[in-house]
Amino acid sequence: MMADLLAVPFLACLVLTGIHAYLGLHVLARGVIFVDLALAQVAALGMTAGLLAGHAPQSDAAYGWALAFTGGGAALFALTRERRGVVPQEAIIGIVYAVTAALTVLVLDRVPQGSEYIKQLLVGSILAVTADEVLRVAALYAVVGVFHWLARGPMLALSSGGAPPRAALWDFAFYFTFGLVVTSSVRVAGVLLVFSYLIVPAVIGAWLARGLGRRLLIGWAVGVLVSALGLALSYLADLPTGATVVATFGAVLAIVGLSRGMLALAHRVRREGARALAGLGVAIGSMVALAGVGLALFPRADHVWLDGLEGFVPVVQTAFLTPYERGVVNGSRAAIARGRTELRRLRALDADAQWGLRALSPEEQERLRQFLAGRDELVAGDLLVLRTLRDKARERQRLPLGIPLALGGATLALLAFRWGRSNAGMPGGRSTR
Amino acid sequence: MLLALVVAATLNVAATTSDLRDLVAAVGGDRVTVANLTDPRQDPHAREIHPRQIALLRAARLLVRVGLDHEPWLARALRTTGTPAADLDCSKGLTLLGTETARLRPDSRPHVHAFGNTHYWLDPENARPITARIVDALSALAPDQREVFAANRARFLARLDEGLARWTESLRPYRGSRVVVVHDTWLYFARRFGLTIAATVEENPGVPPSPAYLGRLMERMRTTGVRVVIAEPGAPPALLRRLTEGAQARVVTLAPSVASDPEASDYLALFEVNVRRLTAALAGR
Repeated sequence: MMADLLAVPFLACLVLTGIHAYLGLHVLARGVIFVDLALAQVAALGMTAGLLAGHAPQSDAAYGWALAFTGGGAALFALTRERRGVVPQEAIIGIVYAVTAALTVLVLDRVPQGSEYIKQLLVGSILAVTADEVLRVAALYAVVGVFHWLARGPMLALSSGGAPPRAALWDFAFYFTFGLVVTSSVRVAGVLLVFSYLIVPAVIGAWLARGLGRRLLIGWAVGVLVSALGLALSYLADLPTGATVVATFGAVLAIVGLSRGMLALAHRVRREGARALAGLGVAIGSMVALAGVGLALFPRADHVWLDGLEGFVPVVQTAFLTPYERGVVNGSRAAIARGRTELRRLRALDADAQWGLRALSPEEQERLRQFLAGRDELVAGDLLVLRTLRDKARERQRLPLGIPLALGGATLALLAFRWGRSNAGMPGGRSTR
Repeated sequence: MLLALVVAATLNVAATTSDLRDLVAAVGGDRVTVANLTDPRQDPHAREIHPRQIALLRAARLLVRVGLDHEPWLARALRTTGTPAADLDCSKGLTLLGTETARLRPDSRPHVHAFGNTHYWLDPENARPITARIVDALSALAPDQREVFAANRARFLARLDEGLARWTESLRPYRGSRVVVVHDTWLYFARRFGLTIAATVEENPGVPPSPAYLGRLMERMRTTGVRVVIAEPGAPPALLRRLTEGAQARVVTLAPSVASDPEASDYLALFEVNVRRLTAALAGR
C-alpha cells in the first residue's frame, strides 16, 4: 500500500530535486537566498488576484495570473541588481516579500475561504499530486534545464559576480525562469517544501565539494535520499507528508553540519592538542551550570533535560522517592500501559462500528463511547499521578542535584576558559593561527 | 422626527456569525439592527480583527456568540471595546456533542475544539432553545417588546417545523447511511438526520492527513462501499480529487453557515440546500 500511495509523490520529489538543486546553487552563489520565498509570495499574490477575478484556485487561469505577477517580480529583481551600492539586494527581496505577503492578506480578505488558501499555499499537497501534474512540471523543467544548459556561460558568470554583455537581460532571464519553476512547484508542493528543495541540497553540496558539477551531484544525491527518507517516515510514523520531508531536510542538514563541526574540531585537536577543546568545555560547563541553577531556583518548571535523563536512568528520579512512592510510580506506569493497549483495542472496535464492519446496537455503541471516555480519563489520572510524583522528586532533587551541577558546571567552564586563555599566550598555541 | 424615534428605538445587536445573525433577525424583526462580525466565507477561527468589528461591537448593546472556543479572536476584540451591556453565549444549555475528549486527553488525537464540537447550529432543533434565549435577552433590554419578539419567534418556528418535516422526509430513505466528512463540522447535522460519520479526512483543518491515514481511509471506503464525502467550500481541492480517484468517492459540498454559499441565503435555506445536495449525492446522482 505504501508504494502504491507514495509512488507519484516520490516522482514529484525527484522532479523537484532535479531543477531546484541546480537553481539553488545559483541562488547561493548570488547570495539571494530569500528570492525564492519572495517570488513564491509574488506568485501567490498573482494567484489570489486570479481568485478575485473569479477563477478557481487550481485553474490554469489562476496559474496564468501567477506567472504574470512572477514576470513582474523577476523584472524588479533584475533591475534592482544593477544599482549595487549601499543597499544589498536581500533588502529589496525582503521588502518585496513582506509587502506582497501583506497584499495577499488584503486580497484574500475579499476572497471566500481566503485563509484556507493561505494555509494550502504554504503546506501544499504533495501527497495528493497526480501523475499528470508530475508529467507537466517535468516537461516544463526539462525545457528550463535545457535553456540553462545552453545559456550556462552568461548565467554562471552573472551568478559568480561577473558582468557579461547584456547583463540585465540575462538577469531577467534567470529570475523569470526561476520564477516559472517556483510558481509551478509551489502549486504542487507548497512554499515550505519548495524552499527546502532549493536551498538545503545546494548548501550541503557547497559544504562538501568544490566546483559546480560535484556540488550538483551531491545536491541531487541529498535530494533523492531525503525525499525517500521523508516519504517513508511520513508513512511509517503517520505524519503529514510535506512537513515531514521539510523536517527531514532540516535533520540531514544538521547531521552534516555537526559532522563538519566535529571534523574541524578533530583537525584542530590534531594540530593544537587537547587545548583546542577549551571552547567546547566552556560551552558545556556553562550549560550544565545554567541547568543546575534553573533546577535549584525553579524546581517545578519544565526541565526537559532531566526528564530525558530520568527516562534513560530512572534511578535519578527513584532515588529521591520513598519506597511507597516508587511502588505508586510502578503501578501507575503499568496501569498506563494497560490502559493504552485497551484504548487502542476499543478505538479500533469503535471505528469498525462507525464503518459498519461490526454490528453494534446504538445502546452498545453509546456504552462503548462512554467506556472509552472513562478509560481515557483513567489513563489521564495515572499520568497526573506520575506528574505529581515527579514534582515531588523535583522538590527533593532541587538542592542535592541543582547545587552540585551549578558549582561543577561553573568550575568546568572557568577552568576551561583559563586553560584556553593560557593556551592562547603560549608559543605553539592558538596565537600561531 | 418620527423616523429618528424609530431608529433610536431599534436595538443594536452584534452576532459573531451569520447563522446567529439570522436567528436574531428572525426574532427581533424590525425592532433590532443586527450585523454579523465574521464573514461566513472565511474561517471563523482565524480572524484578524477589522476596524468594522470594533465599531460594531462598540455600538452593540447585545452580543450574541457561538461560545465554547469558536471565536478565539473575540476576547482580544472585547479587550479594546469592552463587553456590550448584554452578552449571550448560545452554547449554554444545549446538549453538546464531541465533548468526550475534553480535559486531559492522554492519547490525544488532534482536534480543534476542546470543549465540544461548536457547530451546533447545524441541528435545526437547536434553533428552538437558541431563539428562546434570544427572546429573553432582547426582552431584558426592551421589556415592552417581549410580545413582539415571542410572536416573531413563533412564526419562525412554524416555518422551521414545516421545513424540518420536509427535510426529515427527504433524508428518511438514507437513515443509517455512512458518510465521510472532510472536517469535523457535521456532527450535529448527521445526528439529526440519522447519518453516521464513519471518518474525518482532515481531523485538524489545514494539516493534511498522513499517507498511512489516507491509505487506510481509502481502503476502508473501498471495502465498505462508503462513497459520499461531505466537504465545505474551500476544502483542499487536490485532496478531494485524490479521494474521488482513489476511492470512487462522490464529493458533495455543503454550506456550513448561512451565506457561506450563495444559495444558503438564510437559516432555513441553509438546510434546504444542504438536504437537497446531500440526498442527490446519497442517491448517487
